[in-house]
Amino acid sequence: MNNHAAIRLVILGGGKGGTALLELFSHLSGVTVVGLADINPAAPAVSYAEQLHIPFFSDPIEAIRQPGIDLIINVTNDPALDHLIQEYKHPETEVLSGAASKLLWQLVQQEAQTQVQLLQAEKLASMGTFAAGIAHDINNPLYVIQGFAENILEETNLDVIHEQAKSILDAAKRIQAICLNITQYARASVAIDATPVELHTKIEEALKIARYATTLQDLTIVRNYNGPLEIMAKPQEILQVFVNLLTNAIQAMNGRGTLTITTWKEKQWAKVAIRDTGCGIPPEHLDKIFEPFFTTKPPGIGTGLGLHNVRWIVKKYFGHITVDSQVGKGTTFTLEFPLIGTH
Amino acid sequence: MSETKTAAMFSGEKSNGLVLVVDDEPDVRKVVRMTLEKAGYDVIEAEDGEKAIEAIKKDENPLLLDVAIMDIRMPKVNGVEAIAWFQQQFPRVPIIVLTGFPDVEMATSFLKHGVVDYLVKPVEAEKLKAAVAKAMEQREIHRL
Repeated sequence: MNNHAAIRLVILGGGKGGTALLELFSHLSGVTVVGLADINPAAPAVSYAEQLHIPFFSDPIEAIRQPGIDLIINVTNDPALDHLIQEYKHPETEVLSGAASKLLWQLVQQEAQTQVQLLQAEKLASMGTFAAGIAHDINNPLYVIQGFAENILEETNLDVIHEQAKSILDAAKRIQAICLNITQYARASVAIDATPVELHTKIEEALKIARYATTLQDLTIVRNYNGPLEIMAKPQEILQVFVNLLTNAIQAMNGRGTLTITTWKEKQWAKVAIRDTGCGIPPEHLDKIFEPFFTTKPPGIGTGLGLHNVRWIVKKYFGHITVDSQVGKGTTFTLEFPLIGTH
Repeated sequence: MSETKTAAMFSGEKSNGLVLVVDDEPDVRKVVRMTLEKAGYDVIEAEDGEKAIEAIKKDENPLLLDVAIMDIRMPKVNGVEAIAWFQQQFPRVPIIVLTGFPDVEMATSFLKHGVVDYLVKPVEAEKLKAAVAKAMEQREIHRL
């Protein structure tokens, strides 16, 4: 096998093991999954593979006999299958099964858990960025509540009391909505599997949170939405992608400028472009921004994990992210995800 | 500014002074107005820094203004810019910051730049009135 060529492999078994392998391999540039096989067409990994445009075989023998395969990974736990593999595989194809595939399965699980913890850690660390903005947005309605309540204690005019009590209720509802947005964002992903996610819904949720990232604020937000755009993903992770990108954009503009969000459909892709009129990224930083722990923000402000996690999530759902930036003019991040049911 | 003149101005009662409230939230302006009118002040309102500057510019006699209460986070002309403009145009009008940001650094910086008080919402009626009374005293000193 050529060292530089991608490893071409098939996965036998569409259960948890197969799903986790598909997910992990989607982040590795040196691996091409040629096919996934399971005798049960309703196995969890099957729809996942389909979404990722990976061929599915209901007959394991057909998968085993695929030409030009470097490796067969058997995660079925079915000893009978090992005999079939030996009988039908090409002589040069290697096999990972039994204890070796169990070991791989454990490593994959560990890796997946670490990544989930990393996503959550970065999200919680970034909450500090929003603290002042959140306090501001809660303190305003709180002042309205306090001011009217103080007045009602002395007020004798029932009409005025009635009107001010209504204002108090409105203010309380605003605080409730802020707390709901924040807790929804902060909590760990509850969804176990990917579900249909409408991108505009997540962009709007993310905007509410990202706005807290700046003290002074004069943002013009231009929405060129063409939708709906539905993709398969965990909603929390897509929200995190947009919160990170929009927060960066708002911070790059120091709270003042134009944020343009454009969405469109292109063949089987859902596309989103986020453009800011901020400070821009110097050319020498452009190829480093997705690396873990790369940051130009002062200590305590940036974790250096935001864009790394953005790219990790995007790739997990077989999407792509590109950046185009001009110092002093602004930056555009363009994302694409495979649309549901277009393959 | 004339349309925002208050009851005290029309009834001929003696006013304790004229206060400009700049905040983008109508209910916040309403609470400040209510609190200060009960204490005998006249109140005019503006929803952002730009409107505040406009209101002052078009008034026949801007020198009538005694105290300005200013929010920080507002669209168009924000509080920082509006305060800078006010301090330049009307250096004798004391400015009180009334904001939702509980930020010591920001407060220190504003106080260094001549703002007379930095109040964090929610602020009790008594505290707001005390701050305005103190600012009025300063205004009187400047008039002498």
